[in-house]
Amino acid sequence: MPEEKQHRTVIAVTDGASIPSRKDAGLFTAWRVSFVGSVALLIYLSVFHSDPYFRILKFLPDGIFITFQVTVEAILLALIIGLFTGLGRISKNKVINGIASVYVEVIRGIPLLVQLFYIYFALGRFINVPAMASAVIAMAVCYGAYMGEIYRAGIESIPKGQMEAARSLGMSHSQAMLHVILPQAFKTILPPIGNEFVALLKDSSLVSILAVSDLLRRGREFASETFTYFETYTMVALVYLIITLFLSKLISRMEERLGVNQ
Amino acid sequence: MSTNDRRVMVHIRNVDKYFGHLRALTDVSLDIYDGEKVVVIGPSGSGKSTLLRSINQLETIDAGTIIVDGFNLTDPATDINKVREEIGMVFQLFNVFPHKTVLENINLAQMLVRKRSREEATAISMELLNKVGIAEKIHQYPTKLSGGQQQRVAIARALAMKPKLMLFDEPTSALDPEMIGEVLDVMKTLAREGMTMIVVTHEMGFAREVADRVIFMDYGAIVEEGTPEHFFTNPTQERTQTFLKQIL
Ligand SMILES: Nc1ncnc2c1ncn2[C@@H]1O[C@H](COP(=O)(O)OP(=O)(O)OP(=O)(O)O)[C@@H](O)[C@H]1O
Ligand SMILES: [Mg+2]
Repeated sequence: MPEEKQHRTVIAVTDGASIPSRKDAGLFTAWRVSFVGSVALLIYLSVFHSDPYFRILKFLPDGIFITFQVTVEAILLALIIGLFTGLGRISKNKVINGIASVYVEVIRGIPLLVQLFYIYFALGRFINVPAMASAVIAMAVCYGAYMGEIYRAGIESIPKGQMEAARSLGMSHSQAMLHVILPQAFKTILPPIGNEFVALLKDSSLVSILAVSDLLRRGREFASETFTYFETYTMVALVYLIITLFLSKLISRMEERLGVNQ
Repeated sequence: MSTNDRRVMVHIRNVDKYFGHLRALTDVSLDIYDGEKVVVIGPSGSGKSTLLRSINQLETIDAGTIIVDGFNLTDPATDINKVREEIGMVFQLFNVFPHKTVLENINLAQMLVRKRSREEATAISMELLNKVGIAEKIHQYPTKLSGGQQQRVAIARALAMKPKLMLFDEPTSALDPEMIGEVLDVMKTLAREGMTMIVVTHEMGFAREVADRVIFMDYGAIVEEGTPEHFFTNPTQERTQTFLKQIL
């Protein structure tokens, strides 16, 4: 009997941290070794070599906070931009479709760092936007394009019959999208969006160039005052690693939970 | 049987439909009267689904006219959503909404489109679920149901809109044989209650029992039409005879 196909396509558009597969079981998974190892190293350095490591660690939390702030704000904005981009990309209206497609092409063709500079200085020519805000906007504009592709793939993974059934009941296109297609696509797009979140968190280190005091920038400030470059960047790298490993795990758990839900 | 005194529910005139260069409907003309049950048969690719889908504009036609319940589909001023409210459609692959429970499946369009309150919608849904015989499954997700049950949910979902016309596109072809009967029974009940129905099916027993008129299509055109007696005893067209020989 033909079942409605269960689509579990994982869409990897940008390079997030690799999401651990459910199949790697056992005690010594790559994830466990990396996570436990990096936490252990962080604790070891802070306790047994507290000067300068513990001093560095105490200096970083403000930066971690800013990194999270940039990441969360940018991802929320990117989710909205992405939704409209994705809908634009599947739109039959040639103008809307064209605009969305050009946006995706252009953004994907320009390195994020260049986009950051561009938006920061371009915006700065006309209006005085705080560094933090232009950093968030730049990240969101960039990730919105990738997010759009995720939405598009998610929506396209839903069998055509679902839209037809909804429309045949008299629902408008937007009602059908909102109540029938998007809720189903959500399951497919959540894992890649989680992946984007991790990727964005890592890429957010680029905003340190725009005088935003994120994790990397705090590290650089500390290092240049104390000349402990090696020690500081070791700690910065460890903190990034622990955060991204933790988040990747969280996301794969969430994915599993959704997978078994129904 | 005289149909002159009856109102035309679906008026189809000189309809053409192309998919690229492929002509899926060729100068199709057909009137379907209020309360009439029409069964459409024909080989695979003959345009049966396309004809059905043109009636609720899931496909847009390239030439000709379709008027449903007084709404002219070819007139750009016609609000297609309004027309679709009056036309129920049942698909071969059910197309139930897998993320909604059985009850929510049936409530959704009632609330969104017919603007009924949740209580009103639920009352109607319950009545229909009783009618199609799955009242005990209301809080299940459809993926947990058998194909026959899913199709009955789909029928109830369409009926909940109180349509004037029901379209069935091979509603039993995806079902295991033991489930075909339960779906056909629901359709027979509906027919007895006077619903106007257009049914694409290979179930000749159903056609014989229920149809007022049988239409045979081939290569996008209506080749022959008539009562079931006419069809199953002395079809006039050679293509009809060949087709019936193959499937009976
Ligand atoms: N969306 C489409 N794009 C291109 N060609 C199509 C499309 N839908 C149908 N066709 C073609 O139009 C013709 C008529 O198709 P249709 O689905 O109406 O046939 P059918 O009689 O319902 O056949 P079946 O019994 O296999 O369901 C076929 O040749 C089919 O391949
Ligand atoms: Mg068909």
